[in-house]
Amino acid sequence: MSSYTEEFESKQKPADYYAKLYEELERINEKFNAFNVLVKATGNGMPFSVKDNICVRGIETTASSKILKGYIPPFNATVVDRIIRTGRFSLIGKTNMDEFGFGSFGINCDKPAKNPLDEGRVPGGSSSGAAVATALLKYHVAIAESTGGSISAPAAFCGVVGFTPTYSVLSRYGLIDYANSLDKIGFMARSADDIKIMLDITKGLDKRDSTSSSKPIHRVKHNNLIIIKELMDKVEDGIKSEFYKFTDKLKGLGYNIKTVDFRDIELSIPSYYLIAMSEASTNLAKFTGFKYGFKVEDFSKNYNDFFTEARDKFGEEAKRRIILGTFIRSASVRDKYYLKSLSIRRWMIDKLSMLLKDAFIISPTMPILPPKIEDANRMTPVQNYASDILTIPANLGGFPHISIPFSYSGELPLSAQVIGSHFNDYGVISFASDWEKNFKYKFKYNLGDL
Amino acid sequence: MDEKEFDRLLKISRINLNGAEKTKIKKDIEQILAYFDNVDSFKEVIKEPAFHPVDIESRTREDKEEKFEDVDRLLSNTKTYRRFVIGPKI
Repeated sequence: MSSYTEEFESKQKPADYYAKLYEELERINEKFNAFNVLVKATGNGMPFSVKDNICVRGIETTASSKILKGYIPPFNATVVDRIIRTGRFSLIGKTNMDEFGFGSFGINCDKPAKNPLDEGRVPGGSSSGAAVATALLKYHVAIAESTGGSISAPAAFCGVVGFTPTYSVLSRYGLIDYANSLDKIGFMARSADDIKIMLDITKGLDKRDSTSSSKPIHRVKHNNLIIIKELMDKVEDGIKSEFYKFTDKLKGLGYNIKTVDFRDIELSIPSYYLIAMSEASTNLAKFTGFKYGFKVEDFSKNYNDFFTEARDKFGEEAKRRIILGTFIRSASVRDKYYLKSLSIRRWMIDKLSMLLKDAFIISPTMPILPPKIEDANRMTPVQNYASDILTIPANLGGFPHISIPFSYSGELPLSAQVIGSHFNDYGVISFASDWEKNFKYKFKYNLGDL
Repeated sequence: MDEKEFDRLLKISRINLNGAEKTKIKKDIEQILAYFDNVDSFKEVIKEPAFHPVDIESRTREDKEEKFEDVDRLLSNTKTYRRFVIGPKI
């Protein structure tokens, strides 16, 4: 299989295909909570979904937050617009997520999505619904978004392909910001070739996003693969041993594998969270209770009381990040935390760029199997943040990366993450596409099959 | 962080916490800040901190009026009076 999109386009569809798909999704969504909103598709294109922090004209967009309940965007995000304009895709819904993207497991929202491979386990986050929908539907591509690993983590836990581009390659116009210098819209699909189709359509400069780039993206293939020792030290033993069997297979396919030291790479976690929370706490200040969703009714209140009442609608993790972000930006600790984190980011980008000159970096995507829901709920915030160790370095540095399944532990997938240099987006997709010629992904569900 | 300091932080964050939620979040925040203190161990001198992961082209949009195609839908997300958005007192 190369592209499910092309296969879908080549097949005859019954006249009631989308009506039946809608009914089927309504039924299965009761169980898995993949979608916040289901849409009756128009046109006859490949079904696609949009993460609920990306605006679609006329369809409620809440980022899974009560504070945005009822918000109907009057415009499309640029990425959505570019996909719709091709006429090749039909929107089927808005997908569930951790509130505003604040989470790694998909549990920080009112109705968490469930992992279709094991309902007792988390699907990963924050793009939980995008991954669940991709695991359920045979013909479907998902627009997702990553700040620190929100595409790779759920893609890995649900056994689908997840791609995060170089920062600035895709416009962020119409994305509800979490952290402006870290947010990247990306994709999930069942094959790397479908990801390539989506990237071809959506990449490039957008006059509405001043951080979008006009730089061309490349397709440089490397035979050298680098493993970072300090990252592997954080991986559970069972996953580690399977990962080394995978790299042995890659050796057999002609790749050279080298392990290197990267002392202090762990500093990427506090550095990432310090930057992300600083930016998040300012971004969330726009939700004031009289525009965008939830409305405070009593206009006789003074502004501060009015604003504070609106912010009661934030969930616990959002409140925690607002409080921390406000503290980190205060004058007395700004240099100690925020500026230090920006320096760590520069240092990390320079070191990773050196490694990526003639190689890809490869690791398991997640250091653990998807945890059981009750175990994830028991984790402290610090334990939670630390589980992002494998996805944060690429995200902090804005490097393109792709997560692909490489083996299975029972029904649960084990996935690897491949990182490329800035703007070598097609290079990492191409690596994944080559891998797919040697490995068949397993899918438990094939809804919408033809 | 003592109670008084935490209360002040809540006030400037415009977040209201009560009872068990306040106790839990305060404890979480202390643990998180202790974890964040690990960045102190980074001693390299970096001339240009990275405000963005890649170089961003310096591009500004022209300062000119543009017509928004769906003003009614934009306003439908607010409470209005004669097409003015109603907000709280300042």
